[in-house]
Amino acid sequence: MIEAIQLNKKFKEKIVVKDVDLYLDKGESVGLLGPNGAGKSTTISMISSLLKPTSGDVKLNGKSVVKTPADIRKVLGVVPQEIALYQELTAYENLKFFGRIYNVPKDQLESRIQRTLELVGLKERQKDLIKTFSGGMKRRINIASAMLHEPEILILDEPTVGIDPQSRNYILEMIRQLNQQDHTSVLYTSHYMEEVEQLCDRVYIMDHGKVIASGSQPELLSILSNEDTMMVQLNQTSNELITAILKMDVVRNIEETSDGLKIIAKKSSNIISDLVKLVDQHNSKIINFQMENPRLEDVFLHLTGRTLRD
Amino acid sequence: MLTFLKKDLLLFWRDRKELLIVITLPLLIIVVLSFALSGLFGEDQSENYDLSLSVVIEDNENEALEEFISSVNQSQELPEDVKEALTTGVREAPPVESLIQFLMSPDMESWMTVETMSESAARESVENESKNAMLVIPEGYTTSLLNRIYFEQEAETALEFSAKDTAFEVDMIQSIIQGFVDQMNLQYVISSAGGTIDPAEVQMPVGGIETLEEEQSSSLTIGIDQYFTISMGVLFVLFLASTIASRTGSEKREHTFSRVILSNAPPLHFLFGKTSSTFILAFLQILIIFIGSHLILGSFADRSLTFWFGTILILLVYSFSIAGLTSILTSISLQIKNQDVVDGLFMGIIMLFGTIGGSFVPIYVMPQWLRQIGEFTPNGQTLAVLMEWFQYENFSALWVPLLILAGLSAAAIMGSILLYPKKGETS
Ligand SMILES: Nc1ncnc2c1ncn2[C@@H]1O[C@H](COP(=O)(O)OP(=O)(O)OP(=O)(O)O)[C@@H](O)[C@H]1O
Ligand SMILES: [Mg+2]
Repeated sequence: MIEAIQLNKKFKEKIVVKDVDLYLDKGESVGLLGPNGAGKSTTISMISSLLKPTSGDVKLNGKSVVKTPADIRKVLGVVPQEIALYQELTAYENLKFFGRIYNVPKDQLESRIQRTLELVGLKERQKDLIKTFSGGMKRRINIASAMLHEPEILILDEPTVGIDPQSRNYILEMIRQLNQQDHTSVLYTSHYMEEVEQLCDRVYIMDHGKVIASGSQPELLSILSNEDTMMVQLNQTSNELITAILKMDVVRNIEETSDGLKIIAKKSSNIISDLVKLVDQHNSKIINFQMENPRLEDVFLHLTGRTLRD
Repeated sequence: MLTFLKKDLLLFWRDRKELLIVITLPLLIIVVLSFALSGLFGEDQSENYDLSLSVVIEDNENEALEEFISSVNQSQELPEDVKEALTTGVREAPPVESLIQFLMSPDMESWMTVETMSESAARESVENESKNAMLVIPEGYTTSLLNRIYFEQEAETALEFSAKDTAFEVDMIQSIIQGFVDQMNLQYVISSAGGTIDPAEVQMPVGGIETLEEEQSSSLTIGIDQYFTISMGVLFVLFLASTIASRTGSEKREHTFSRVILSNAPPLHFLFGKTSSTFILAFLQILIIFIGSHLILGSFADRSLTFWFGTILILLVYSFSIAGLTSILTSISLQIKNQDVVDGLFMGIIMLFGTIGGSFVPIYVMPQWLRQIGEFTPNGQTLAVLMEWFQYENFSALWVPLLILAGLSAAAIMGSILLYPKKGETS
């Protein structure tokens, strides 16, 4: 139903979004994944008609959004990355104002406000000013404000930043329900891999303004089908050892994590014995060794040589 | 539309600090300035000017008057009705008596003590400085004066004014007397041409002590507190325009404006909210300032219902013009991306309006052409209209300036609608 075609955005001479193609079908849940500055928010702003593309178009059911923005606004709910609330109004007043201007029928507004407040777990605080809320609470009202009018399409831009894990799961579950029970289409932006893995049917991975990979999760993971990911714990490491491991022919990437070294290597039969030898030469020992199931994170690492949160 | 109005009013209400400043600060300034300046210009002039004068009357006025009247009646040249007018005129306002009455009138009493005495006593009083000056009304003064005016004869005697040394006080007394005498002579001349003498028309001459307090014929007075109420009220309401318009900037910054755009609400509803809330707030603000000044200082104690009716009408039109200003500033702030530029621009416009509209400095220090432009600022125009209304309470003088002001404001609102970003695009 929504289709972005060859979207480009330049700010002054800086190209921020380049040739992005993207679509979202009815009832789908699509993730947009990428590190800071990848161009996710800019892409979303263009799709939701807040920002004019430098070139390219966004179409809703074949009609240009750039030319007739009113159409998409009718069916869209947007949770912006920044808190977009009146700090001097209460949670209730904010919801009431946005509900009213979104043309929620008067007789339903009150019950929807109460239900949504319950959904985000802030019913008791509804009479408090937004400015007295914690960051996570503000985020939750920020989400609630976009849902009152029960949009067909929900676009969320990193909605869970700064929310504690418990409330986060709660919110993710809420979005999943909207998607699966009410068939709301969801475009979900995040740099939290797990959220996208949990929620989305398809994923676009963006970096430096471009979509560098897209597809369903199995499709994306199959990019890694000729690679192995392993976690290796050593009793001691050194820079020389890490450099030496990197120099091994089959090794693609290495990352130091709190659980040890995460090594991505081309599938090969003798990598383990080679690794043991090398570690031995550097007077170190392998304490723990584990093959890992590849994750989206690894796909990104594979494609860019960087981790998502670099 | 009302949703936006409600939101804007609610936001303003939440900002109590601002609310407090916007109303109490002007009131505070009005009270402080009124007290500070009433000492200089207000009713208590006696404390500043403690003048004293000895008066020596050597003229026998009654005798002179009878003589004058009989010579008028004997005159062959004068027609009967002029003779009649002159006779009654001179009887009603005999020159020396009028002068003495004037000098000892309650108006003068508060800042000048006058005592009649013999010439030697008067000379002594000046010599030992118990009096600032002395005035001798010489023998034959009345006859000489009347003959000079009506029969165009050479004056034989004149008032003799003397003082020990020249001081500011002495100059002042002299100019007061001189002024009165000039005025009275003028009245006599008028009456000889068929007019009547009205001693009340003879005004106190104003030798550099003209004040707003000055009683003028057929006009009401504007007290110092009233003046400050007008000028400060008008000025602070002007500030409101930029305060509310710059809210648009924060709504953009805080992304609530994006949400408003995405809601598909008709774009002009947002503008309507700003404009109408400004109208309401501006009116309440200036009304509260006026009423506050009235309650604290009793500024409008002796004013009629008509006065309040006209004043409220003027304030309504002024509030409308401030709403128009806010409206256009709001549209501008949505067209310019850089918020610093917008803030600077607003500040500049308000300062400019404030200055050429005469809210900061007295208009008379500015060149004429600038003053004329200043009359086209809402605050300048309103200041002028209010001053006029406070003095004359003349409705017929209100319509034209108020219609111009309302017209300009309506034009500003039209302009802001044209300027308002279509389709609600922000970039
Ligand atoms: N209004 C703007 N003017 C100039 N540059 C901009 C503007 N908005 C965004 N950018 C630039 O565009 C790039 C992409 O920004 P964008 O906000 O789309 O990234 P993002 O993927 O959403 O990142 P994040 O995960 O941090 O939210 C950044 O380099 C940013 O500096
Ligand atoms: Mg972003």
